Amino acid sequence: MPEMFTQLLGSVEKELLEFRQSDKFYFVLGAVAIGLVIPFAASEYVVGEVLTPMIIFMIYASSWNLLAYSGQGSLGHAAFLGIGGFASALLAIKLGLPPVFGLLVGSLFSAGIGLLIGLVCVRLKAWFLAMVTFGFSVIIVTLISQFDSVIGGVMGFPTPLIIERGLPFYYLTFVLAAISIGVMYLLIKSKTGLAFRAIHENEPEAKMIGINIAKYKLLAFVLSTFFAGLAGGLFAQSIRYIQVSVFDPYYSFLPLMMAVIGGLRTIEGPLIGSVIIVTINSYLYKIDDVLQGLMGPLFPNVSNVGPPLRMLSLGLFLVLVVIFLPKGISSLLPKIREYFSEKPKKAKTHEGK
Amino acid sequence: MSGLIETLLWGVANGCIYILLATGLNIIFGVMKLVNFAHGQLLMIGAYVAFVATTALGLNAYLSILVAMAAMAVIGVALERLTFRRVLGTDKLNEIFVSLGLIYVFENAAVLLWGNKWKQIPNPLQGEGLVIGETLLGYDRLVAILIVAAILIALFILLKKTKIGLAMRATSQRSETSMLMGVNIEKVYVFTFALGAALAGAAGALYGILLPFEPGIGALPTIKAFAIIMLGGLGSIPGAVVGGLLYGIAETLAVYFLGGIWQDAIAFALLIIVLVIKPTGLFGEKGE
Repeated sequence: MPEMFTQLLGSVEKELLEFRQSDKFYFVLGAVAIGLVIPFAASEYVVGEVLTPMIIFMIYASSWNLLAYSGQGSLGHAAFLGIGGFASALLAIKLGLPPVFGLLVGSLFSAGIGLLIGLVCVRLKAWFLAMVTFGFSVIIVTLISQFDSVIGGVMGFPTPLIIERGLPFYYLTFVLAAISIGVMYLLIKSKTGLAFRAIHENEPEAKMIGINIAKYKLLAFVLSTFFAGLAGGLFAQSIRYIQVSVFDPYYSFLPLMMAVIGGLRTIEGPLIGSVIIVTINSYLYKIDDVLQGLMGPLFPNVSNVGPPLRMLSLGLFLVLVVIFLPKGISSLLPKIREYFSEKPKKAKTHEGK
Repeated sequence: MSGLIETLLWGVANGCIYILLATGLNIIFGVMKLVNFAHGQLLMIGAYVAFVATTALGLNAYLSILVAMAAMAVIGVALERLTFRRVLGTDKLNEIFVSLGLIYVFENAAVLLWGNKWKQIPNPLQGEGLVIGETLLGYDRLVAILIVAAILIALFILLKKTKIGLAMRATSQRSETSMLMGVNIEKVYVFTFALGAALAGAAGALYGILLPFEPGIGALPTIKAFAIIMLGGLGSIPGAVVGGLLYGIAETLAVYFLGGIWQDAIAFALLIIVLVIKPTGLFGEKGE
């Protein structure tokens, strides 16, 4: 482990220097600036119900994506979102820990469970892994219902506050997200990340050149579940109230959709996906009345055609993206950049001649 | 005691539905090396098709099984052509993503078409049964078991005695070699997927006859079918039959002795224990 750590630090320095010189730097700077300024332009409701969840899901989707880097996939990531949420809230309520501390311990707890589950999963491939992770999320719901007298998860309970809701909570989330995503970025660019990618590309070959597959897969699992737990702790605070419904498969599929639609195995993919899906979920209901007027008579069995139509479109969207844009929306970014920088480039080649 | 015997019969009947579903998944996996996580949603759509056939068209509940199978075969052809064929051979995760998207499409299409209230297919045999002492062995469940047995025998003959069955078995062993031997693999793939979907349709019609259903019921049967395939070993049909029966019985016994909330967790606990000991399943030779 220590040698991996020094390796990591060495590559971090180099990576930061390179990053500073690339034009990505200004892009990121711009995104951070927008993230810092936008709450002032938005109403209290938008900050609390749209922007904050968007940032939290960025952490969550990125954590899922980190796992995908190492060639693993999870259909039960909601287990860790829920464990992080329940653990941080319960630590604060039952033991009186300060909520910030609870957040950290909750994430560590999630990573601990992740380690145990990861130990089972390192030997499993693609759909076996998908099934087992899904299975664990079902088992955890059963256990929480079984020990309801201690946990109180079936009815749920209000979560304690770290910090005042609204702008302060938004900025706390923003800072934590920036740190988490930065750490994940550096990790992916480091030798550890290289090992992850090697395992994903070709496991037998990775093994042949001396990569300890089990170690790196487990590392990816633990780190991913740590960040999922962190997202869970924040999520529990942002929705004010935690309940077993947080383990719903919907929350397991959400980070997957965000990562895939945005661009799997890219740093910006899950962030783009989170912006798209949270925006869709927060605003698309406004056209429900119009849809009901247009389509209502066609489907007399439902009182409101809006929600099922929205979910159906989301599923269709995912299928279409996988088929026609397998690298996600982020693969369009270089094309857009090319389009805008076409003229200066032409000018340059002219000079060269 | 009579309660236990009735429970066992329910377990075997449920197990039979899972066997049909698992066999469909298993054939598709064996031939195409494709995993369709939306397979349970095909079961759900099949149940609705049978429901419409019995209530709107006035068909007998058991004849509606054939309607459901035909309808699902058509949907299966469309699915294979439009979605799965395009991602076959790319990253394995892409198949999982496509089928997850299809789950949303099917479930919400069903909500739109039929609403989300619980329904059950009206069945002439409901409530009647063989009375032995205090035990009531429902005819509906006994007939369901016989139907599944008949379908499995027909499937076995199809696979072992017909030309298309031979082509399917050849493709499942070495797809490239069978292509060289003149097998039209694309046709085999379409047929296989349609067959798997038809089996899911039959499973759905039986589900709708025995149990109430709504658009969200598909997810758990998929998972259970997977558990059965993993218990029985990938690609092995007899393995799936044994796995399915064991599974159906284990599940109903868990509910009988431990209570309803354990129904699903027990299944996964079993699955995870098996996979920890043997990552390729109980009877599986070689996982991919």
